[in-house]
This record gives sequence, C-alpha cells and structure tokens, in this order.
Amino acid sequence: MRSVAVRSAALILVVVLIGVPLVVTVATLPAHGEADAPVHAAVADRYVEHGVAETGMPNLVTAVLLDYRGFDTFVEVVVVFAALMAVLALPRGDLDQDGTPETGGDALGASDSPVEVSPIVFYVVRTLAPFIALFAVAMLYRGHASPGGGFQSAAVLAALFVVLTLILGRRRTERLLLRRARPWLEGAAPLAFALVGAAGMLLGGTFLSRPGTVDVHLVQETMGFALEIGIAVGGAVILARLFLTVER
Amino acid sequence: MLLFGIDLDYLAFGVLFCVGLYMVVAKSNLIKKVLGLNVMQTAVFALLVTSGMIDGADPPVRTEATSAPFANPLPQAMVLTGIVVAVALTAVALALIVQIHADYGTIEVDELKEAP
Repeated sequence: MRSVAVRSAALILVVVLIGVPLVVTVATLPAHGEADAPVHAAVADRYVEHGVAETGMPNLVTAVLLDYRGFDTFVEVVVVFAALMAVLALPRGDLDQDGTPETGGDALGASDSPVEVSPIVFYVVRTLAPFIALFAVAMLYRGHASPGGGFQSAAVLAALFVVLTLILGRRRTERLLLRRARPWLEGAAPLAFALVGAAGMLLGGTFLSRPGTVDVHLVQETMGFALEIGIAVGGAVILARLFLTVER
Repeated sequence: MLLFGIDLDYLAFGVLFCVGLYMVVAKSNLIKKVLGLNVMQTAVFALLVTSGMIDGADPPVRTEATSAPFANPLPQAMVLTGIVVAVALTAVALALIVQIHADYGTIEVDELKEAP
C-alpha cells in the first residue's frame, strides 16, 4: 500500500516538474489575438491578399493545404496510407486471410453485429444515414469555398461507415469497400496527388502547379477538385479499413 | 484574461498537456496511454490554432459575408496536417494493442512485464 502512495507521489512530481516549466515557457510566448503578433508577420498577408486570385479557392485554409503547401499534404496522405499498410502488416491485420466469425442475426434482420442492436439506434441511424452521406458530399463539393474539404468529408464518410457497421454488422458493410477496386480506393489520395502533380508538369508548370489566371479558374478548379475527391475517397476507405481491422 | 500573471488560454493548454502526460506515465492500461497521448496532442493543436487567431477576425474564408481582418490560415492548415498524422498514429497504436491482447491476453503493462 505504501509503495503505491510513493509511486503516485513520484508520478505527480514528474508531471509537475515537466508541467511547470512548460507553462512558464508557453506564458512567455507573444500574446495571441493581436494583429501584429510575430505569427502573422511572414506569409499570412500574402495568403489573405492574393490567395483567392492565385489559387481560385475562397477558403484560404484549403488554398494553403492544396496549393501553397501541396507537397506537405501529399506526404501527409502518404503517411496515412503507410499507417494502413503498417496495420495490415500485423498478423491479425489482413481481412482476406480468415473469414469473419459467424454470429447469428437478430430480430432486425441480417445483422451480424456481435451485440444486440437497439431498435432506437437502428432506426435513428437508418433515418440519418442519407443525410450524413449528403453532408459529406456537400462538404467535399463546397470545400474550396466554405468550411469543409476532403479530409473533413473523409472523416464524416468514415463515421457513417462505422455507425452502419454497428447496426448492419461488418459482413454487409465490408461490401461497400468494393473488394476488387480496394487497392485503388485505399491509395486514392496519394494517387490523386501524383496524377494531378504530373498533370501540372504536363501543362507546363512544376509538380502540383495548377495553371490559372486571375479570372479563369476552370483548369485550376478541376485539378483542385480532383485532389479533394482523392483525399475524401482515399481517407474514408482507409479509416473504414482501419476500423474493421481494429474492431475485430 | 490573466490568472497568476499567465494568460488563461496558455494555462489551460499547459494543464491539458499535463493531464495527458499524467495519463501516459501513470496508467498501466495501454489504451489509456494512447488516450493520454491524444489529449497531449489536443493541447498542442489548441495552442497552434489559437496562435493564428486575431481578436474580432473573421474565419479565413473570403466570401461576401466575411471581411478583414482574417484569421491566419497557415496554423489551421498545419494543425489539419497534425490531426491527420495523429489519426494515423492512434490507428497504428490501437492495432498494436489489439495484437498484444491477442498474443498475451492482457493490455496492462504490469501484467505484460510478468508475461512469459
């Protein structure tokens, strides 16, 4: 009993020893919320002043993400893809190796969910599912001009997949991942970046450049939209597969 | 707003970070350690996003409805990158924990130390 108390005291001491210098250091940072803080001194003005004209995206966060820092986002989607590869490389990871354990369906039909599905959950999810999907598509479609974008849309789609798996069981929702096209869907985000990047080079620019003038944004918008679709589809499929792998 | 001469927001981020740190070092359950890691990440993200804010500024979306000053879009874009990487990290960590549970039947660190 005494050793537990000593251990707790030591742990709290460690946290305090790290936490107090941390808070003191952070407190010496420039005050936030002021327009002349150093964080706004470098590139923010350029993004705010010329971002729409240069990228054709009124949502400047998306503009930074897909255009000014496009390489960053390219490698970021590769990181997520690599995470899926790492999870699938584990002995339990591969979905195709062993069949899903058979558990009997319940009164609500062909669900193979391991827990009994509450009728309230079933009907709420069933009613809301189309609207969740519509919301994800709307965020994808309007992501360049309003809050939203590919990653957010992917998160909503993956959440929809998770709640559908909870009520329908994984055997039925797994089919949504289209077994044959699965490698392409999982790699959709890095593939979209690679293809759009190459297209930028073919159109006479550098990798990931998107040609456009101040007034004409058609090619620019199409390429940006292709990136967003890739991120949304690839991200959603990767998150769904991660869920299926971890959930077992 | 100041508390003990320290900006309240900065203090909150520090406390949140320490809560996460305590979870990581004190809890023996691996899932709670991963949760603690996520709490620490949230503290850092909140600090970064807050740094990009300007008092009274509109969100950095240029439409008819918004006007200058705009918040700095760069920290938001970077935090979005950070969140995605945090998701990847959490996914791999949870998959490893599932694997550990399958192999050893426990996810408590002190029990794992005694496992053969």
